[in-house]
Amino acid sequence: MKLNPQTIKKLQRFRSIRRGYYSLVIFCLMVILSLGAELLVNSRALVVRYQGKTYFPTYAQVIPGRTFGLDYDYETNYRQLAERFCKAGRGDWVLMPPVPWNPYENDLRLDRYPPFPPSIRDRHYLGTDTMGRDIVARLVYGFRIAIFFALALLAVNFSIGVSIGSAMGYWGGRFDLVFQRIIEIWSNVPFLYVIIIISSIVVPSFFMLIVIMALFGWIGITWTIRTTAYKERAREYVLAARAMGASDMRIIFRHIIPNTMAIIVTFAPFAVSGGIVALTSLDYLGFGLPPPTPSWGELLQQGWANLEAWWIVASVIGAMVVTLLTVTFIGEAVREAFDPRMYTIYE
Amino acid sequence: MSTMGKHLQRLALWLFTVLAVSGVLAAGAEKLPDDIEWLTNDSDPVYASPQAVRGGTLHLALLSFPLTFRVVGPDSNSSFRSAILGNQLSLIGIHPNTENIVPELATHWAFGKDKKTMYFKLNPKARWSDGHPVTAGDFAYTLTFMRSKKIIAPWYNDYYSKEIDRVIVYDDHTLAVVSTKAQPDLHLKLGISPTPRHFYKKLGDDFVRRYNWKIAPNTGPYQMGKFRKGKYIFFNRKKDWWAADLRYFKHRFNVDRVKYTVIRDINIQWEYFKKARLDVFGLTMPKYWHEKTKTAVFRKGYVNRIWFFNDTQQPSLGLWLNMDRDIFKDRNVRYAFAHAMNIKKVIEEVLRNDYFRLENGYVGYGPYSNTKIRARRFDLKKVEYYMKKAGWHRGPDGIWTKNGRRFSVEVTYSFEGHTPRLVVLKEEARKAGIELRLQKLDPSAAYKKVLEKKHDVAWMGWSTSLRPHFWEHFHSVNAHKPQTNNITNTDDPEMDRLIDAYRNSLDEKERIALSRKIQQRIHEIGAYVPTFMVPYVRQAYWRWWRLPKPPGTRHSDDLFAPFNSATGGLFWFDRQRYEETMAARKAGRTFPPVTIIDRTYQRKPANP
Repeated sequence: MKLNPQTIKKLQRFRSIRRGYYSLVIFCLMVILSLGAELLVNSRALVVRYQGKTYFPTYAQVIPGRTFGLDYDYETNYRQLAERFCKAGRGDWVLMPPVPWNPYENDLRLDRYPPFPPSIRDRHYLGTDTMGRDIVARLVYGFRIAIFFALALLAVNFSIGVSIGSAMGYWGGRFDLVFQRIIEIWSNVPFLYVIIIISSIVVPSFFMLIVIMALFGWIGITWTIRTTAYKERAREYVLAARAMGASDMRIIFRHIIPNTMAIIVTFAPFAVSGGIVALTSLDYLGFGLPPPTPSWGELLQQGWANLEAWWIVASVIGAMVVTLLTVTFIGEAVREAFDPRMYTIYE
Repeated sequence: MSTMGKHLQRLALWLFTVLAVSGVLAAGAEKLPDDIEWLTNDSDPVYASPQAVRGGTLHLALLSFPLTFRVVGPDSNSSFRSAILGNQLSLIGIHPNTENIVPELATHWAFGKDKKTMYFKLNPKARWSDGHPVTAGDFAYTLTFMRSKKIIAPWYNDYYSKEIDRVIVYDDHTLAVVSTKAQPDLHLKLGISPTPRHFYKKLGDDFVRRYNWKIAPNTGPYQMGKFRKGKYIFFNRKKDWWAADLRYFKHRFNVDRVKYTVIRDINIQWEYFKKARLDVFGLTMPKYWHEKTKTAVFRKGYVNRIWFFNDTQQPSLGLWLNMDRDIFKDRNVRYAFAHAMNIKKVIEEVLRNDYFRLENGYVGYGPYSNTKIRARRFDLKKVEYYMKKAGWHRGPDGIWTKNGRRFSVEVTYSFEGHTPRLVVLKEEARKAGIELRLQKLDPSAAYKKVLEKKHDVAWMGWSTSLRPHFWEHFHSVNAHKPQTNNITNTDDPEMDRLIDAYRNSLDEKERIALSRKIQQRIHEIGAYVPTFMVPYVRQAYWRWWRLPKPPGTRHSDDLFAPFNSATGGLFWFDRQRYEETMAARKAGRTFPPVTIIDRTYQRKPANP
C-alpha cells in the first residue's frame, strides 16, 4: 500500500508524541491479550496429559470428567484434576492458565462467605466479587466486551453520522433544513430513559444494545461532518469533480469524506471512551447486558454496595482509569498529529 | 421477597376481616331466628405478659410518607395503610396461636343453618375514638360505603357486591352478615369491620380529595395524632380505650406513643438505629444479621438481637415451569429440571444456611399442609435417568439435546438481590446439562410477562392467605389464557376434579384431606419447583424494650408491631433499663451481648 506523503508525515508526527504512541501500544496489547483471554484466564486447562494422550481443552468441546477417570459427566474441574494428578504421581499432568478461573464460576466455601480478599494461594489475584467470582476474570472478559462494544458502536454511529452529515452539508437547502429539525427533535428525546424503558421490558443483547445506543449516538458526529462538508463543497476539487460529471454519491464518498478523514479520526478515540463509559454506566444502573455477563458496571455497583470489600472497587476503578487514560492519550496525540497548524501559536 | 410476602399476607388477612362489607337492609324488617346457638371464646390461652407496664415512645421509620390517610381509593395501598388498619377492629378476630375465633367488637357470634349467615352481638361498650358508640348500623354502612362509586375503589366495589350479600340490623347491638354463597370458613369473610357513618355522612364526588388527610375515627388502641407531611406521624394511645380490659387485649398495646419518622434510605435508617434514634431494626437479611451487627452497640450489649421462629403460611417461592412450552410438556423433563436445581448449595453457600428448603408450595397452613411431600433434591443421576427416559442425549457442549433442540430455558425474575442465588443455580444446572438463561426484568414487566404466559420459567412466589387457594393457580379454567394466576398452565382433569371438590365442600375434614391430595398432585405434575422459606423474623432492639415469653405468637412476623389486633403490641418499655443503659453509654460501661434464638414455634421438618 502506498501512503500519501501527508499521511506518512502525520503518522511520523503521531509517533513522535511519546505519550500517545505508548498508550496506543499498551492499548493494542490489551486488546490482543483480551482476544486470547481464554488462554490466560480460564478454568479450562491449556494442556492435559493423561495416560499418554494429550488434550487441549481450551477451545474444544466440553470434556466430561469421566474422560480423565473421574466419576461425573459434567465438565471436568481442571483445578481439582491437577491436584489429583499431582498426588497420584503417575506422570499425568495439567497445565493451567495463569488465572485458573472463568468469569462465571462461583468459588464458594462452606465456612466463609464472599467477597474474598485477594489471595495468591487461591489464585484470586484481585480477590472475588460478592458471588465468589474471580475479579481478574470478570475484569478481563468485561474489558473484552466493553471494548468491542465501544468499537462496534463507534462504527455504527460514525457510518450513520458521517453519511447523513455529509449529505446534509453537500446538498444543503431544504434537505439540510428538514434534517436539522429532525435531529433537533430527536436529540431532545431523553436517551437514558428510553434505554431504561426498553431494557426493563426486554433484556437487551449485545447487538440490541448497540442498536438502541446508535439510535441516539449518531447525532454528535453528524453536526461536525455537516459543517465540514459545507466547507468542502465550495472547494474547487468538488466543482471539478462535478464538472466531470461525477454523481453526488461519488462526490460525497470519494471526495468529500476522504478529505474530512482527519476530523473523523480525531473524534474516534473519544467516542471509544464514551462507549465504554456508556456501557459501564448502564450496567451499573442494572439496565445493560443481562447477568451474569461479566461487566465493569456491575462490578462497580457491587464495589459501591460493599465498600468494606475495597478490592472490588479498587480493581474496577483502576482498570477503568488505565483504559480511559490510554484511550484519551491516544486521542490527544491523534488530534495533535492531524492538526495542520503545527507551528501555530495561539495568542 | 419474604417480608413482602408476609406483608401481603397481613394485607390479605385484613382484606378478609376489615374490608369486607355491606349490603344495607332496612332494619327491623327481619326477625332474629330463635334457634341459633351463640358462641364466644373466653378460654383460649392469653399471650401477652402480665408484667407489661405502660409508657414510653416507640420510634419507627418509614421509607416514604404515605400519599393519603384514606384506606380506600387512589394511592391508599401503601405500607402505611396497615398501621391505620391495625387500629381498626373487626367483629371478630383470629387467635394467632390456636386460630380459633376470638371476640373483638362482637362479644358473641353464631352460624346460620344456611351456611351463608353469621350473627353477631356487639359489645355495648364499643366506642369510636370520637366517643360515639359503635352500632350495628355502622356495619351496614360499611357495605354502603364500600359499594359506593364515589370512593373510586373498584376492587372493593366488586368484593363487597359479589362476596357479601347484605348486613341485617336487628337492633343497635345485634346484626347478621350474609355471604352471597355458602362456603367453608365463613368467619374469615364475614367478620367485617365498621365504618363511621357519623363521620362520612353522605359521600360526595369530592370524597377522594376531601378525605386525603382527614383522620377517620377508629375503634383500636391508638389514634393518629400530630403529623407533618413528609416528616413524621405520631400515634397516641387512647386514654381510656374501651377494649383495654378484654381478655385478649389485656397487657397489650403498652407504649404511650408511636412515632413514625420518614427516613428515605435503609442505610440511613441503620445509622439512626445505631444512634438510638430508632428503637427497632429488621435483621432478617443475612447480611445484616451476620455482618452489619458486628458493631459497637451490639458488642457492648446495648442492643439485643432476637431470632424468632414462627409457624405461619409461607409464600410459595420457587420456579414455575410453563407447560405450554414444548420442552416442558414432558413430565420427565420437568422432573429432571427439578433435580437439576441445587437449592441446597444456594442455601448453604449464598444464604448462609439462614433460609430453609421449601418442600411444597403450601407450608404453614396447619392441617391443610401436606407435610409428607419432599421437594425434589439436586441429583445428577436422576436428571440423567429422566432425560434419557425422555429420549434426550448430551450434546457436544454438555447440554442435553433432542432433535436439534438444546435444553436451554429462560428464567424470568425481577429482584436484583436474587441474582447471586440464580447465578449459582445456573452454574450448577450446567453440570446437570441444563442451560438457564437469566432474564432480569423490571418487576412490573416481569409480572406482566408471566401473567401473559410468555415465560419459560418464572422465578417468583405467591403471597399467602389463611387457607390454601388452588383454583387460581392450578385449575384448567385458568390455563392457556393470559392474565390468570395459573402460570404453569396446569391442565389436568384429575386436578380439576380435586379442586372443584375442594371448592364445593363445606366439610372441614374433607377439605383438609382434599387439600393434601391436591398438593400431592401438584408435586406429581412437577411444574412447580419450591425453593426457599424464611420461617422466622429477626430483629435488633435497644435493650430497654421487653418482650413476653414466648416473645411472639405462631403468626407473628414482627415482634415490635405496635398495632394489629391479633399479633401486635406485645412488647413494653422498661424505664429502669432505659436509664441504666443511657448512663452506661455515657460512662462507657458495657453489658454482655445478647442474642436470643426462640424456637417455640419452629416446625421440625417431617422427614429431614
